[in-house]
Amino acid sequence: MDGVIFEKLKILSDSAKYDVSCATSGVDRTNVGRIGNACAAGICHSWTADGRCVSLLKVLFTNKCVYDCKYCVNRRSADVSRASFEPQELAALTMEFYRRNYIEGLFLSSAVEVSPDETAERIYRCLNMLREEYQFAGYIHAKIIPGVSPEIIHRIGMVADRLSVNIELPSQESLSRLAPQKKSGGIFRPMRQIEQTLAEQKTLKGAGNMGHFAHLGANIAAGDGSLTEMTSSQNPIAVKETGRKYAERFAPGGQSTQMIIGASPENDRQIIKTSESLYTTFKLKRVYFSAYIAISEAPELPARFTPPQLKREHRLYQADWLLRFYGFRADEILDERHPFLDTDLDPKIGWALRNIELFPIEVNKASLEELLRIPGVGTVSAMRIIRQRRISAVKYDDLKKMGVVLKRARFFFTCMGRYYGGKEPDPVYIKGIMLDAEGIRDNLTDKKSWQQISIFDNHLVENKAANNELSI
Amino acid sequence: MNYLYDNTFEGFLCCIYAHYYDEKADGVFPVSTYQEDMLISRCIIDTDEKKAGIVYEAIENKISKYDIKRVYTVFCSSIPGKETMLLRYISLGFHEGSKVGLLYGNPVVFNVLQIEKKVVSEIHRMCGLIRFSEMTRADAQNSRSILYAPMEPDHDITEFLAPHFCDRYKEDPFIIHDKRRNKALFAAAGEWYITDFSAGDVLMETDPETQYRKLWKEYFETVAIKERTNPKCQRRFMPARYWRNLTECC
Repeated sequence: MDGVIFEKLKILSDSAKYDVSCATSGVDRTNVGRIGNACAAGICHSWTADGRCVSLLKVLFTNKCVYDCKYCVNRRSADVSRASFEPQELAALTMEFYRRNYIEGLFLSSAVEVSPDETAERIYRCLNMLREEYQFAGYIHAKIIPGVSPEIIHRIGMVADRLSVNIELPSQESLSRLAPQKKSGGIFRPMRQIEQTLAEQKTLKGAGNMGHFAHLGANIAAGDGSLTEMTSSQNPIAVKETGRKYAERFAPGGQSTQMIIGASPENDRQIIKTSESLYTTFKLKRVYFSAYIAISEAPELPARFTPPQLKREHRLYQADWLLRFYGFRADEILDERHPFLDTDLDPKIGWALRNIELFPIEVNKASLEELLRIPGVGTVSAMRIIRQRRISAVKYDDLKKMGVVLKRARFFFTCMGRYYGGKEPDPVYIKGIMLDAEGIRDNLTDKKSWQQISIFDNHLVENKAANNELSI
Repeated sequence: MNYLYDNTFEGFLCCIYAHYYDEKADGVFPVSTYQEDMLISRCIIDTDEKKAGIVYEAIENKISKYDIKRVYTVFCSSIPGKETMLLRYISLGFHEGSKVGLLYGNPVVFNVLQIEKKVVSEIHRMCGLIRFSEMTRADAQNSRSILYAPMEPDHDITEFLAPHFCDRYKEDPFIIHDKRRNKALFAAAGEWYITDFSAGDVLMETDPETQYRKLWKEYFETVAIKERTNPKCQRRFMPARYWRNLTECC
């Protein structure tokens, strides 16, 4: 092994690090090749200094790009070192990393070197080499470049576990402004093709439990057995693949996409609406958000060194979870009058405070859907509540043990008829307590505006009084 | 009466047997670390495979198949006092039947479920946090290389890792060494066994191994995004006590 591979890996992983997806879940496969398997829950192998997990060897095949997307590190006009892998090199490297249990598989993306088809063809050659020559049965995530021909997508899908096409930006206007060479048709056509192929082979699953809520409807009564349906093997969350050759299946892990947050002027409502329609029309498994990191200078983009909007990204992910696992619709999370998510409170509390007339909910009578609407109650604890209700009534002391976060939840439920949130459910009062409890108010107020009162220094006391008046 | 057993799962099951067919037990403790109690007398229980088998089947049939697995998982934890908690759980289970696992509100059940969760999540974590190295014997030339992974888990989880890695490395022989408990899992071609082992030192990394380690470290440092640095988040997912045996951190 020579120094060249060091250099290449450094350049091509550095270019790939802004791709967010690192999931290895959704496929359950025993070792059908010579080495490797896939685990339905997914396995993370390490966590980098920024707290993101490393589960796949995430690299670009090449970062020599003919496109000039303004937000991208690898755009044609950027001054960065360029390199490309040979299929053989990358396959061998993946195998050696996999043997040492560094990674769970390969995430392969690429810049567009000559044309989308030519690049995708080389990606396919590398992935096919892994599957056929090395008999690799681990996880493979392949990125589909917009504008690739359907035949190549199909061939890549046959060797990969998950496919993804990046939507890049939440609206068409931003896309044509910042990535003029990418056309929205080129993005949605592969998505549609993947969705239809999955539907044909009956492995189209969709995200979270969105599908389950659709046919359960609003009338699922407490403990009528619909829960067992949700968890039964007829609705498997992962595609079971024991004993089958991977080559028979097209992308068993489904497809995902990613969009950049904060590079374009869209509000949170538009972003959430876009992801909801992606989930419903294309049955994506995930929509990833990536806070824009200001790396390039362009008049259309936020100024260089603007800090990435991490808090916003975090709240958007919370809203995304509400869509996928809690039966929320985008219009409920944000409406016309509230186009942005509150950065101080999570979106579920935000929704509950706007709809306070629905609360408190009696935990011993509510349906699963209603329980999931209580802030501080998650899918696991809601299931536990329903399961225990079949045996005995749920008492207040039991709730904490079931994993309910009482500091948030207590304002929104009654348990055996009693309300535990102080006086009555009042949005202003609850919000005040919540901000205190999360220590958020301390972070928001300027630290210098208050200090310990001294008995001796009179002017300090006066300052304090003046500050108090201001804050009132 | 406190029952003492010989650190084996069978020994523990025999204590349960004695609890039902002999005197009621106040607690069950391993004999090696037992602290004498002035008020409660003690009795060392001999391990008897037959009695253990009876209790094993009773738990499987009268509580549930899942619960015998749960009892074993909790038994493999290193939480002090786990045996007494399990005793309470099992006797409640004989009373309640298979629904015992659903009684989250009951402190007996709650404690056992908490420990089970700790062990199960460490098993899952270790599936990712083990790092193999290609090693040869330092004292013999031209010996075959083998994949060797040292680890120091909180709980005794070595055998739970076997099915996962045996399936994954069908053709590569490997050793997973629990340095804290001086035992190791040896596996080749889908067969595996666990034995006492403390001779990790005789192994030496091969030349390509050194190269791949460097490459992996390089990759690990490159993929972190500087603008998003968040070491607290990193430690939450990957506690620092595991770092000693990770190629990228040591």
